Amino acid sequence: MPVAHGQVNKSMTLSNSDAETPDRIVELRLPSRLGYEKVAMDAAASLARRMGFNGDRVEALRTALAEAVTNAIEHGNERDSAMKVLVVLIVRPDELVVSVADQGLKPLDHDQTTHIPNIEETLHKSDKGGWGIWLIRELMDEVEFSTAPSGGNQVRMVIHLEQ
Amino acid sequence: MLEDELNVSIRDRDGVAIIDLVGDVTTFAEEKINSAYAQVNEKGARAILLNFRQNDYINSAGIAILIGIVTEVNRNNQKLAVSGLSQHFQKIFRMVGLAQYIDIYQDEEEAVKGFAATATQ
Repeated sequence: MPVAHGQVNKSMTLSNSDAETPDRIVELRLPSRLGYEKVAMDAAASLARRMGFNGDRVEALRTALAEAVTNAIEHGNERDSAMKVLVVLIVRPDELVVSVADQGLKPLDHDQTTHIPNIEETLHKSDKGGWGIWLIRELMDEVEFSTAPSGGNQVRMVIHLEQ
Repeated sequence: MLEDELNVSIRDRDGVAIIDLVGDVTTFAEEKINSAYAQVNEKGARAILLNFRQNDYINSAGIAILIGIVTEVNRNNQKLAVSGLSQHFQKIFRMVGLAQYIDIYQDEEEAVKGFAATATQ
């Protein structure tokens, strides 16, 4: 069911304890259309590079964010381009916090967020996917799945700046 | 604009069927990659190289497509290698376990030599 725009804007906030000064927060609202995750990846990478993350870490962040946003587009919002994916980047002196929230047509269950795929098994299955959330967990320093105030899925990822 | 950003082409070099993949490898790549594989398979390729170029974006849907190719390659008793991947994606391929089934080379030159070396063993 399409959600009215006013309702969208009102509901697309994040539930977390990341109360920060507003001049350190970047928010992106993306249409739920595959491909737009690249806009978020580029924005996050640009910010991370300026914070001093090295190339490897920036690449890790790009991959993790790509997976989080494509999940939100495909599963949470079921590719309904009128639905938004909210990406919030919070810059802290020693870390970058990235939250991704969808509007939750299809909640993720615990098994989906903790599944560890195995390539040998995957080779024999018709569905070769299921690597996204596992990759996020492998690549980021902290990962937490929760429910956004919109009722959608929310993933909060943190990448630490190593001195 | 943001969707299908991949060019796929096929060529032959010293008996190696090279599939050049230029651009993003995501869910939009499925048909192009599978059809390129089907073409080289039809021509009887024994050694297949996926030569990546300008791939700053390969996601889990892209990885799933490549795992599908590995399944086919194993079934058809072919050899598969990749070249041109950035350090980051080489790492991802190892993490996922693709490196158990695919030889990873820095570049095309090295891959073609690698195929020749294993053929004479």
